[in-house]
Amino acid sequence: MNFPWNKKRKSAEVAKDRLRIAIMTDKQNDNYPFMEDLKKDIIDVVRKYIEVQDIDIKKECHGEFEALSIDVQVKEK
Amino acid sequence: MGMIIAVISGKGGVGKTTATANIGLGIAMHGRKCVVVDFDIGQRNLDMILGLENRVVYDLVQVMDGEASLKQALIKSKSNENLYFLAASQTKDKSVLVSSKIKKLVDELSLQFEYVILDAPAGIESGYEHTIEFADSAIVIVNPEVSSIRDSDRAIGILDSKSQKVKDGEEVDKYLIINRIIPEMVQSGDMLSSEDILEILNIKLLGKVAEDKGVIEASNQGTPIILDPKSVAGAAYKRIAARLCGDNIPIQEPTVNNKGLVGKLKGLFS
Repeated sequence: MNFPWNKKRKSAEVAKDRLRIAIMTDKQNDNYPFMEDLKKDIIDVVRKYIEVQDIDIKKECHGEFEALSIDVQVKEK
Repeated sequence: MGMIIAVISGKGGVGKTTATANIGLGIAMHGRKCVVVDFDIGQRNLDMILGLENRVVYDLVQVMDGEASLKQALIKSKSNENLYFLAASQTKDKSVLVSSKIKKLVDELSLQFEYVILDAPAGIESGYEHTIEFADSAIVIVNPEVSSIRDSDRAIGILDSKSQKVKDGEEVDKYLIINRIIPEMVQSGDMLSSEDILEILNIKLLGKVAEDKGVIEASNQGTPIILDPKSVAGAAYKRIAARLCGDNIPIQEPTVNNKGLVGKLKGLFS
């Protein structure tokens, strides 16, 4: 029952909210297991056309969607 | 071929080994041939829970290394003739686990037993990935408590990326057991409810086990709680084992003990 003197949020509710956020953050930080191999392969492909300085691959989470962001740094002339 | 089930958890101390022992014994009591294997190399706990610590001569590492035969290392349970046990090594560390040797061992076990149940190290420890590699399904043990739930989610993530079945394009069946539920706290809103946990972890529910002091007494004596006809946790494990054997038994919610006057009053106001 909801009594006016019982306004403090129940700790289980707090736990649920905190867990949701923690798990979402954990997933964002998690990399795919194939990340290193993918990086090598992309370097090999791009190198055919242009010299590569470095490649940065990141897994990004936007709500339900996951995205792979690939940043290719080209070598300066 | 028998079914290979890994019993897993995120962090340690959630009752994984107790669950393994009771599920194994429950399946055996159901008339199915079952083996429980302690994969927590270096710790060796399952033998104590089963009351078989004095019978261990050879362990699974010795079997994997060809120093002992499977027949020599398998220990028959005291309480049920359908249940066998394979002990973990105490002296070696988890680095001795090699995929090819594990595959050979579980394949051999699944030819002899209908159910092969592997007690895995906690998900955050080394050796976990090896234990889950060849499992057909996994039972996740979780406590209604934030750190256990968070770490379980990670352990499930590793399962989904490292298991051979997933690599082959199939899916590993995942089942959840919520262990150590204190119904009074759930009722008063101070413990996460099963629904909350299922919403967060999003896997199938296999059973709910209430906190039960009898579990400690049972482990003291080396007689799994499922053998205690009065225990609520024991009854929960019986239902879990029956479900794993294919029986259709509805999930029961652990109930608040409303016997005393205080309990009755509390019941009115919650």
